[in-house]
Amino acid sequence: MKTIAATLFGPSRPSIESLRPVLYRIAYAWCHETALADDLVQDTLSKAWVQRAQLRESGALKAWMVSIMHRCWMDHLRASRDFDNVDDWQDALESSADTPEACCDREQIVACVRAAVATLPPGQRQVLTLVDLEEFGYAEVARILDIPVGTVMSRLSRARAALKRILDRKMQQAAGQPALRRVK
Amino acid sequence: MNGFVSDETLHAFVDGELDAAEREALLARMQSDPELARRVCTVRSLRDMVKLAYAEPPRVHMGAVSEPARHTMLRRCAFGCLVLSAGLVVGWLLRGLESLPSVASAPPLPAAALQPVSLARVPDPNRVMLHLDNAAPDRMLAVLDEAERLLDEADREGRIMQVEVIANSHGLKLLRAGHSPYAERIARMHRRHANLKWVACSQTIARFAGEGQQVELLPVARTAPTAIGEIITRLQQGWTYVRV
Repeated sequence: MKTIAATLFGPSRPSIESLRPVLYRIAYAWCHETALADDLVQDTLSKAWVQRAQLRESGALKAWMVSIMHRCWMDHLRASRDFDNVDDWQDALESSADTPEACCDREQIVACVRAAVATLPPGQRQVLTLVDLEEFGYAEVARILDIPVGTVMSRLSRARAALKRILDRKMQQAAGQPALRRVK
Repeated sequence: MNGFVSDETLHAFVDGELDAAEREALLARMQSDPELARRVCTVRSLRDMVKLAYAEPPRVHMGAVSEPARHTMLRRCAFGCLVLSAGLVVGWLLRGLESLPSVASAPPLPAAALQPVSLARVPDPNRVMLHLDNAAPDRMLAVLDEAERLLDEADREGRIMQVEVIANSHGLKLLRAGHSPYAERIARMHRRHANLKWVACSQTIARFAGEGQQVELLPVARTAPTAIGEIITRLQQGWTYVRV
């Protein structure tokens, strides 16, 4: 009965609504602004509800909604040209002269990885977060973002290389610090 | 599969995008090529870190952080991050060293080339994590022997010793009911030592589940959201980390 209803009328409101936390995490990883992420999710949910009849396979609900959100974000970027000022992030990342006590906070580690992800170009950031956070397959990501699979792979490759470069640089600066020691 | 393995191929491997034959070939090659294994490890830990970073995104109304405060925090987190990556890489690099330093006052560790690392200024020799991420029989055995040795020695000297065995990736096999070659010994050790804990990585379990394998843990094991998260938390609490 449920399957028939899903095929006839598209996904139900609760099943659309239940994806809110997942969508919010993705949106936040894309734009790194809580308010904007919330707007994107809200937009996506209402568009998904309006267009629900277009979705026929209920298994693909998540991917379908992420692709709607992708279009919402693209619209937003086009409308505002509001790309992150990468130089700001770079400054923040490069200044590491802080007290060793400050280093052991998990929150800060988390925020640092986020800052590094935020320096990536939006396209790479999207691919990276869809693959790493939601474990979408390459083919699914290609469908969601409407790009070839080869582009997914090359963006992912570049994104991870850049991320590693940023984190490695931090690590080399750490070499002179006493915070991490071998225990004899 | 000969010659240099491209980054794209490595990423596809880590993301489970290779077909069975390619995966087998790459796995076989990793056995004999430590550099390749190291690259795979780097990609995996990058992926884990990204996952950890967005496990709990901030809620909406928290947006009112003032600009200077945000910058200070960023600077601090940059530093925290460097310590994390240093820990990961140092742990990896040091595992192959010939010299065998020991956990604090304890005598040298067995030949498995174990290397303790701690974030604390004064490392606590009485709180030790043993991290297992592969299923090589000698590594599994080394984990159990090492845990038993540390606990027995502490018992003899009247110290209170806490040991946590953290298993992820292929090392999860140690804690899987029906797969673990040492299920009985683990149960026995668990009965003997109240301060010995067994932790399995939920992410690894989810990955197995994604591949269609039902994972059932030994009754003594508990799960942590991610092995890396657990290790970081423990390091912050002053535990000593030993990668087996």
